[in-house]
Amino acid sequence: MKLLTHFLLILIALLPAAAQAEWPDDKPIKFIIPFGPGGFDAYVRIVSPGLEKILGAVVVPENMPGAGGRIAANAVYRARPDGYTIGIWNMPGMTLPAIVGERVRFDLKRLTWIAQLGVDGYGLAVKATSPLTTLDDLCNLGRQATFSAQGGLTETASIAAVITMVKLGCPYKLVTGYQGSSQGTLAVMRGDVDARINPIGSLIPYVDSGDVRLLLTFEKERSMPGVPTIAELGHSEFINFGLRRVVAGPPGMPESIRDRFSAALIEVTQSEAAQEWSRNTNNPFSPLDSEQTATAMQDVMRFYEEYGELLRRELKGN
Amino acid sequence: MDFSLINDALAELVASGHSHYIFFGVLVGLTFGVVPGLGGTTALALLIPVTYAMDPVAAMYLAGGCMGATSFGGSLTAILLNTPGTPPNAATTYDGYPLTLQGKAGLAIGASATASALGGLIGLISLLLVIPLARNIIYLFGPPEFFLLTILCLTAIAVATRGKLLRGLVAAGFGLMLAFVGMDSVSGELRFAGEIDYLWDGIPLVPVLTGMFAIAQMLVLALQGGSIVSASDRVTRLSGVADGIASVFRHWTHLLRGSAIGTVIGAIPGLGGVVASFFAYSSAAQTSREPESFGKGNIIGVIAPESANNAKDGASLLPAVAFGIPGSAESALLLSILILHGIEPGPSILIENQREIYGLILAITFSAVGASLIGLIGARWLMMITRVKVSVLVPVVICLTFTAVYVLDGKLGDVIICAMMGMIGYLMIRFDYPRLTFIIALVLGTTMEQAFHQSVNISNGNMTGYIAGRPTAIVLFVLVILTLLLPAARSFRTGKPEK
Repeated sequence: MKLLTHFLLILIALLPAAAQAEWPDDKPIKFIIPFGPGGFDAYVRIVSPGLEKILGAVVVPENMPGAGGRIAANAVYRARPDGYTIGIWNMPGMTLPAIVGERVRFDLKRLTWIAQLGVDGYGLAVKATSPLTTLDDLCNLGRQATFSAQGGLTETASIAAVITMVKLGCPYKLVTGYQGSSQGTLAVMRGDVDARINPIGSLIPYVDSGDVRLLLTFEKERSMPGVPTIAELGHSEFINFGLRRVVAGPPGMPESIRDRFSAALIEVTQSEAAQEWSRNTNNPFSPLDSEQTATAMQDVMRFYEEYGELLRRELKGN
Repeated sequence: MDFSLINDALAELVASGHSHYIFFGVLVGLTFGVVPGLGGTTALALLIPVTYAMDPVAAMYLAGGCMGATSFGGSLTAILLNTPGTPPNAATTYDGYPLTLQGKAGLAIGASATASALGGLIGLISLLLVIPLARNIIYLFGPPEFFLLTILCLTAIAVATRGKLLRGLVAAGFGLMLAFVGMDSVSGELRFAGEIDYLWDGIPLVPVLTGMFAIAQMLVLALQGGSIVSASDRVTRLSGVADGIASVFRHWTHLLRGSAIGTVIGAIPGLGGVVASFFAYSSAAQTSREPESFGKGNIIGVIAPESANNAKDGASLLPAVAFGIPGSAESALLLSILILHGIEPGPSILIENQREIYGLILAITFSAVGASLIGLIGARWLMMITRVKVSVLVPVVICLTFTAVYVLDGKLGDVIICAMMGMIGYLMIRFDYPRLTFIIALVLGTTMEQAFHQSVNISNGNMTGYIAGRPTAIVLFVLVILTLLLPAARSFRTGKPEK
């Protein structure tokens, strides 16, 4: 389907025997999404039309789901750095395979970071009717507190649960096998498990409908009235938990191309249409340019590497 | 039941001037349904960019029109070529194709069209009835219930392979084996994937099913030569269609039961159409007074799965409507169309996006009826395909199928799997191993394993106690036992030992 579109577009592009001139010429730009429909997909599809207009090129979002994002990561990493292939990355999700000792075929440190689109802070949710009201309650159940999680070690949310619970000395257990964050939230609502960590934006609708309640958010300052932040609870080292949606290209992409991409993406996120979408859907934009993104990603990688040993130990047993 | 909302939706459909989108959707859905390998998911994925500039309600008309029509389109290929056009039509091949061989394709198409249309309508009514209860229903099915449901379906396999129990079990075992390839969704460990990236996500269903049925059937035809039905056979004239329509009303209990099964299984996330139609088929065969007539051209074998097939479309929206959480691949795509239009699906989707949701429900229903009408009108010409020379038919279908499988995800691995399964499927036909039990096991394997692990994990190893405390689980458990006792009960009644 998408392939067919590509094929036709490429055919059209080849017709006038294009001489390799200015970037972008009539070749379509592939924007790879490591998942099917969902948050990452939505971000890419919302910014793509604006990107097309500013760059004057065809942008084709392409879903390449599979292997927890690794297939798309490999595809972007191995692509030619000619500005015709970029991807959206799940950070810190994609740092985790290497940290927990998996052999990976991409090196995040060599990627060309283009821009950060958004950061979702995390919140810890329990069922609305649950007797638990504080993190302490969750810690002192007299048994292991259960969290719903995905298997496969790239889900940032379950990693956040592991680090928090271990560092606070709370007994916990991950119940894995839930596909995606919405199934994980449903598991809390159904009473399969005690709690779930998820991006705040994706929890808000379920808080509003009275299905779940937030115990805390992993933020520096309160964004949800009446819900304490992890910093207020005295653990400001955990404010960095969050899901970052970052655009990056293959290693060695020319700076000029990188910067034009970066400027265009930031401009798009500030457009009225994008802002309205963001407000309506609780999908925040927190744009960073390529330099800022590169620095932020170094921090993220360093943060999770610190917990490397802890994660390797904990996830083996789970 | 809230009919006023449906009234509003109808009024909007008439007033909006967008009704042609449903018709366009039906045409797309029929086409994608007919071609083996292409199905509702591919069609919807392809439509997503098209809807970008459309009004969200119009987009829902288009998507619903498409979704409601694919399963009937797929039944045409199942009946005429013994090749299910979409995965859920696999069960229809069992009796649909023997009817074609007997020169009664018209009868089967008539029955399939009517059962699809009525199944769609019954699905709509049941959906409207249960929407107020949607949350409770979904809360009833946690990991232990999922586990028992898959066991129930696997038990039905054993019983449905009447007289070929051992072969059925071997095929199902093979299916389970393949189901466990790839990343274990519980531990995240890779199993049987070697160094091949492609296998990380397991063996995909559509290429397997397409190979197993479409390619294998083409091999059978190629070796047999001639044409499916000989041209001199005058019986293949249209005569049967009216009988087919009438047969559905004659067997209305099977229509109702098929639709009920489709509704229930459709509503449960993760099981889907293949299981629904198979379960409807096997329950019809199991409880029949003449079980040996199934698989040889019993019209009930077409009515039961096809009604389940269309009834499940409406019900599969239930998790999406209740929580904004997709219960099937198709509803995930529907939700992503809404996301694209700036609507964030959530638990209040039914309140905040009434227009879109009811418009969608309406479109699916109209589409089920509309596709059947188009199918009935076209039946006369469609049946000609069975007279086409095999030397022409086979290469065309094989090319089309491989292309469809490739286009699906753009993965060459899919095509390789499809070709391999074609050969295995041919061997299974040749040595009389049931392919459907293989497919069902492949579909259920992952869910079963995952639900089992989750239940054990949540209950800290005390599965018995966990199940004993959950009424739904107990009911399912009793159903498993009853299913196992059924053959014994039947032989007791007839006084003849079961083969």
